[in-house]
Formats: sequence, C-alpha cells, structure tokens
Amino acid sequence: MQVPGDIQIIKEDNVTHSFCGLACVGWMYQKIKDSFFLILGTHTCAHFLQNALGMMIFAKPRFGIALMEEGDLSKNEPTLQEIISEIKADHNPSVIFLLSSCTPEVMKVDFKGLAHHLSTPEVPVLFVPASGLVYNFTQAEDSVLAALVPFCPQAPAGEKKVVFLGSVNDSTADDLRAEAEELGIAVGGFLPESRFDKMPAIGPDTVLAPIQPYLSRVAVKLSRERGCGVLHSLFPFGPDGTRAFWEDLAREFGITVDLRDREKAAWEKIRKQTDLLKGKKVFFTADTMMELPLARFLHNAGADVVECSSAYIIKKFHARELQALDGVRVVEQPNFHRQLEDVRRLKPDLIITSLMTANPFVGNGFVVKWSMEFMLMPIHSWSGVISLANLFVSPLQRRSKLPVFDEKVWLEGVMPSAE
Amino acid sequence: MRLAFWLYEGTALHGISRVTNSMKGVHTVYHAPQGDDYITATYTMLERTPQFPGLSISVVRGRDLAQGVSRLPTTLQQVDHHYHPELIVIAPSCSTALLQEDLHQLAAHSGVPNERLMVYALNPFRVSENEAADGLFTELVKRYAVTQEKTAAPSVNILGFTSLGFHLRANLTSIIRMLQTLGIAVNVVAPWGSSVEDLGRLPAAWLNIAPYREIGVNAAAYLEETFSMPSLTDAPLGVEPTMAWIRSLLEKLNVFGSERGAPPLSMPNLKAFSLDGLSAPSGVPWFARTADMESFSNKKAFVFGDATHTVGIVKFLRDELGMQIIGAGTYLEQHADWVRKELEGYLPGALMVTDRFQDVAKVIEDEMPDLVCGTQMERHSCRKLDVPCMVVCPPTHIENHLLGYYPFFGFAGADVIADRVYLSCKLGLEKHLIDFFGDAGLEYEESAPVAEAHTDQSDRNEALSPAVISTVSSEAGAVADDGEMKWSDEAETMLKKVPFFVRKKVRKNTDTFARSIGEPVVTVDVFRKAKESLGG
Repeated sequence: MQVPGDIQIIKEDNVTHSFCGLACVGWMYQKIKDSFFLILGTHTCAHFLQNALGMMIFAKPRFGIALMEEGDLSKNEPTLQEIISEIKADHNPSVIFLLSSCTPEVMKVDFKGLAHHLSTPEVPVLFVPASGLVYNFTQAEDSVLAALVPFCPQAPAGEKKVVFLGSVNDSTADDLRAEAEELGIAVGGFLPESRFDKMPAIGPDTVLAPIQPYLSRVAVKLSRERGCGVLHSLFPFGPDGTRAFWEDLAREFGITVDLRDREKAAWEKIRKQTDLLKGKKVFFTADTMMELPLARFLHNAGADVVECSSAYIIKKFHARELQALDGVRVVEQPNFHRQLEDVRRLKPDLIITSLMTANPFVGNGFVVKWSMEFMLMPIHSWSGVISLANLFVSPLQRRSKLPVFDEKVWLEGVMPSAE
Repeated sequence: MRLAFWLYEGTALHGISRVTNSMKGVHTVYHAPQGDDYITATYTMLERTPQFPGLSISVVRGRDLAQGVSRLPTTLQQVDHHYHPELIVIAPSCSTALLQEDLHQLAAHSGVPNERLMVYALNPFRVSENEAADGLFTELVKRYAVTQEKTAAPSVNILGFTSLGFHLRANLTSIIRMLQTLGIAVNVVAPWGSSVEDLGRLPAAWLNIAPYREIGVNAAAYLEETFSMPSLTDAPLGVEPTMAWIRSLLEKLNVFGSERGAPPLSMPNLKAFSLDGLSAPSGVPWFARTADMESFSNKKAFVFGDATHTVGIVKFLRDELGMQIIGAGTYLEQHADWVRKELEGYLPGALMVTDRFQDVAKVIEDEMPDLVCGTQMERHSCRKLDVPCMVVCPPTHIENHLLGYYPFFGFAGADVIADRVYLSCKLGLEKHLIDFFGDAGLEYEESAPVAEAHTDQSDRNEALSPAVISTVSSEAGAVADDGEMKWSDEAETMLKKVPFFVRKKVRKNTDTFARSIGEPVVTVDVFRKAKESLGG
C-alpha cells in the first residue's frame, strides 16, 4: 500500500494525560485466563494499577507487583525466584508475563536473561517490555503478543487461514469468526486466544488480520519470522471500515465479495445517530491509539473532525486510515497545552479524551466521551456498528436532556483551588 | 522484594500533588516517564474537578535518556506561559530520582524566576504519600508565612485539610459550623483552597487547628515555634472528644485574648451546635443508653487504619458506644508510637503495625469480629468473610466522595459514625428472634454477595461439579484438597438452620473444633459437640 505524500501529520513534543503500557494488564489478564502478569516495579506502578484502573476490588487478581524497595536498588539482579514460587503456588498459571517498568529499565535490568532464568518448561516466564519510557497505554499489548509468538505453533505451508490479531472478548471473537466463515475464509484463530495453550498456528500462508490499531510491532515480527502476510486495510470499525476490512480480507483469499449493500444497510441502521453527528465538530486529544479509525468513522459519518491526535502514528500500519482521513488535521505526540488553547478557540461539540481530562473539559462547558470506553465496548465489525455510533451520540443526547447549567451557581465550591 | 497487590499509602508524588492540587495558583511539574501523571485521574475522577488540576508532566522518554535530552526546562516554560502559576513545584518520580539529575540546574535553565520555582526532590523510595504531603506543606508554610499583626477578633487557621482527604469537605464544614457557633473567625484554611498569599497570612490568626496527625501537625508546630501561635492538634471525633476540643479551643483562645485585653469567649448552650438550634447537638449519648443498644456491649470490634481515625474510632466505639475492642492497627509505621500512646489501656494486645493488607485480613479471619472499622481494603476482605465492616479512613475511594453531608468530625460526625456502626452491625432484638427461630424470611439476603463475588470465586464454583459438593462419604475421610473440612449432608442441613449472617463464622469455628479433636469430617454429632463446646 502506497502512502500518498500529501498526508500531513503534525508532530509535536509529547503525550501527556495518558497511561503507560502497564495499563494493558487491565484487559490482558482477563483475556488470557490461565496467565499471571507480574510487574517488576515500584510503589508507583502498584499505586497506578490500584487507582487508575480501579482494581483494588479483586481479591486474588492474576497480576501483582514485585515491589522494588530501596534496598533492591543496589542489587545487580533482582531475585524473583521466591515470588515466582508464590505465584505458582497460589495461582497455578500456565504462563507468567514479566513486565518491565521505568525504574528497572533505568537500572538496566537484564529482563530477557531474568525471564529466561525463571522459565521452566512447565511454566514459561515471558518478558514483556511495557515501561512508560517507551510504551504508550495500549502498546504493551503489542509486547505481550510478541512474547507469545514462540508459543504459536508453526502452520504448514499451504495452510491458508486468517489469524485475527488483537484481544477482543469472546462474543466479539465469535462474531468475527462466523463472519469470516460465512465469506468462505478459513479461520486459524486469534492472537491471543483466551488460553495460553490454545494460541493459533501461524505460518507462511497465514493472513494476519489486525483488528486493533496498536499492534504494529507484532505484525512486523510475525511477517518477518513466519513469512505470513499482513492485511493492510481499514480496521473493522463502523460500516465503512467493516466493509473494507472484509472485502480486503476476502481478496487475500482469492474471494471477491461486494459488501456495498451491507454497508449501506449498516449506515441505514444508524441513520438517527449519524443525523445527529453530521456537521458536529469532534476533537480527539490522544490516549488509546484507537483515534485514527474512530476519527475516520466519524469523518465518513459526516462529522467535522477538527483534530485527530494520537500518541503514535505508524505510517505503514495506519496507511489506509490516514488516507481515509485526508483533509483532517492529524497530530502525533500532541502538546496538551496547545490542545487546550485550540479547544477553547474551536469550541468542538464533542471531545474524545482520557479519564484524566474528561471532567475538567466538561467543567469548561464541553461535551466529552472517555476514550477508554471504546476499548471496553464491543464495537468491532457489523455487530458493533450500533454500539460504536451510540458511544459518540449518547453524551450529545444526554447533554440535550439535562436542564440549562449555570456554572456560576452549581460549580461554586466544588474545586476551591480553581476559584 | 515482595509481591504486592495493593498498598495503603500512595507515592511521594501523590502526596505532593494532593497538597498542590488543593492550592490556588500552584502547579506541580512531574519530571517522569509517560503515565506517571495517572495521579491526575485521581483528582478529576474522585473529586470530579471541573477544572484541570495544576499538574503537568515533563515527559522523560527512553530516547531522551539515550540522547541526554531533558524536556524539563521547556515544560516549565510552557506551564509558566499557559497557566501563570505563582509557584511551580518540581518533583521527580521514582525512576527519574535514580538518574540523579540536577533538577535545580535544569529548572534554572527554564528562565522561570527562581522565586517562582521550588524543587521538592525527596527520595520516593523512602518517603510515602503522607510524609511527602506533610513535608511539602510544612516547607510551603516556612517559605511564605511572615510576621504580622494579629486579627482584632479571635481567629483560627484550619490546617491539614488536603485534596482526597477522607470526608474532607464535610469535616471542614462541621468544624467551620462549630467555629461560627462559637463566634470564632476562620483566618485561613490550608492547603485546601489556599493561595501562597494565604499562607503568608497564617500568622495573623490567634491559633492553629490541625486535627489530622498525618498532615498539618508539623506546620502547626513550626508556626508555634516561630510565631508563638498556640495550636490545637486533637481531632474532634466523638461527642466527648468534641466537647473537650471546644473547651480546649476556648481556653487557649482566652489565654491568648486576655494578654491583649480581649473579652473572653464562653461556651454557649449546647443546643446552639445542633442543626436546628433547638436540640441536643448529637443523638449519640442517648442512643448509646437505649435498651435497643444494650446488645452492643457484647459486640467485638477491630479497627485498622491511618493514625487519626484508628485512635478516634477505637475511643468512640469503646467510650461512647460501649463496644469491646479486640484489636487495632495502623498502616502508618511513622505514627505507630503516637497511636500506641493514645490507645494505652484500650487494646487487649499489641498494636498491629503493617502495610500488608493480607496480614490484616488474616487477623480478621482468625478473630471474626462483629464489626471491623477499616479502609476500603478491609471492607473488601470482610465481604469475603461476611464480617460487617465500615470504612473509616483513607485511602479514599469513589464511595468516600459522596455528595451528601457525612462528616466524621464534630457532633454531626458522631451521629454519622454511630449510624454507620448501627447499620453495619447485625440487628438488635431482631437478632435474638432470628437466632432463636431461624431465618425469619431473611434467607434471600444470603444470595446477594454471590452475585458480586469475584470471578475467581465463581470459577472455583464451576470447577466443583455438583457431585463433589453434595455427598461426602464418611470413609472418604481426610481433608479436602483445598484444605477445607468436609461436612456431611446432614451436618450441612443443620448448618442451614443457623442464621445466615453467622453461618460462615459457625462453619469456621466448627471446622477448627473438628480439627482440634481429630475429626476428619463434620458430622451432625461433631457439629453438636462443637455447639456445646463453643456455646453456639
């Protein structure tokens, strides 16, 4: 796929108000049900997981922090053997993912060697780079999947099957599988599957179909190591993305399908929503790296995407989405202070933003949607179209149902430091 | 190195930002990798701040480290340009503290005038949330407080109220209402809602109120030492402590006032402290004496929390409600000595001092108290054990940031705590009825916790086929794989007749009894013996 030269990506200086890669534990431990996620980290990492992800409620979560305290800083190599034994005794996992964090990375801990040393044939310990020094919010899923690659059996040459890349819940996975089979596409499985010993076979004739936009590294790794093909299409969100995804995937299998009517019917189903979205100014502040496909859906639905910012934009992996966003202001590594000024100037009707910034934007008079919600809702493919559209529409509708808000009255005393 | 799942105290950065987020015109810049500003979400989501908290991050990326680039000066310039703060506090994170960069020098490169910058570079591996918050607040007071004229009328500062504090707003309201009743003006509340100018005005007040052991007491001590300001560091938690607090406040202010010839303040009629001005200020003294509450004298309570609330709640439960205290503990090691001293004569054994929630859960499981007062984590531990629990102290959770007025301080606070004790503990007279006659149709409540049980629990239930659960042949003997004692069908049926809310406790006690007499299975006979022996 050619990247047209006229796609302008503005690159700024950093991403703030977003989580580090450790956040991926929140969904990955639930996805891979016989796993344990061990983070070698500090008090900060533990505090992050229990607060920002609201995880304190779990009695015996299948994740934990090997807590580095001051005395551990002077040691050359962290000794994790006892902790690993404790985890095995309490949780009996099939696999332990060992996640790096900032402090041990600054200390230059040899994670690969450490993981290798702790691995046994029965319970492998897999290194997952995840620190905020390098990885954004969702990107550590990319690292987890890369660590799983050696445990994907080798598919023989000639076995032409699709393997969907990205973790989705079981019901979404069932839908994708059924849809593929209906089109005559043989399904090899999902990376990841929900059990460690069930990872899909991948070989030279596998077609990898990325269904999440933050998994470019593992896609490159698999195509390099196994020689498999990687689908370069739109991501299967919205009627437009879903049609392109399935048509392009079918083409990889030599199947020609025309899903024009299906797309039309899907748009029709969400006509009420798109009527409301038409002409609405929408601003993405950057958080989950799902911004490009989401903005593309809105763009095609007739909304006016005034800024689509994302933490990282990978030109080749995101080429089709970028092409479809032609004319939209796309920013990588946005500067939040600048965004704040632009938001005040552009007055968007809807802002898609992180947990950290949502309420303050509302306090400034804007309508918002949490970016993280898009990761936790079934918005893939045809069955996800209505959910996807509703996610954008519901905050707009709710705002119109609430009475007029006199902030001078009702915000009095709520945040004394800002008065 | 240890395996941690959950921690009572947050990080030093969290403590620092709690103070600066409380203040006007103060901005914190974290020199930290991406994601360390997750702390912002604790304010915007728990306190639902309608403005952006004054917190920015100067992102440190792996590539910057390799290239020796620091974004700190630029970030400081941007923050200065966009927000014009009166003070920027610069703090390292745990990973950047290891880099041993000279933050003073980097900050100087920003060109932001030095008097508007403050590097607060404590060791995040050594200092935790409360100590960092208290330390920074004290530093700020030292930096800005200046000698000045005292206010003409009696006035106080209220210190230590900090963003994300436990029932912070309601406690503050409760204290301010009492002060209004007494005719005492509030000079400054800090850090909550104060600016650096306000800190400058602190010495104008006659006295400092600093009810939280964790934050504010050291600032009050500094002000006492440097500006000869008396301070009141007791917490008005419970009816008698509130009365003592008011008396002490009046006494100290009158000593101060008499030196300047001010007319003395006197204790008003206590009705003046009630919400309608016509009633007793608290319902607790009468409530505690009612026949209804007689059953509370047998209730055994365990308290675990920070320093201020552990002390206050233990005293309240014993002194004002007449409950039995079977133990108490704190996760704040640095305040353990103070807690021990305060609770001398209150505890049957040593004060528990630990920051491992599993240790606390173990004590609760062993003791099965009638009431646990703890943190959100104890509430969770208790839910699994079906032990009544009420949350009495930080770390706060979204459920501690409710909209209604639920103070813990003052007369109104005593009422709130007593109500929660009453609602948390199991019944009064009804309890006897149920104990005697059975479940009184309340059986349905038993299924409620199952719905919210953790998935691991339901996984385990699924794993056990019905056949395994239902029948245990007596020759099977021994203990089940998971270490649980086996029960015969008949004994299970008998256990069903025990009221649901003590069933877990009875099962556990019977298990222990059976093991102690070497019985491999709980049969009807063993169960009866246990009841006889344990007085069940």
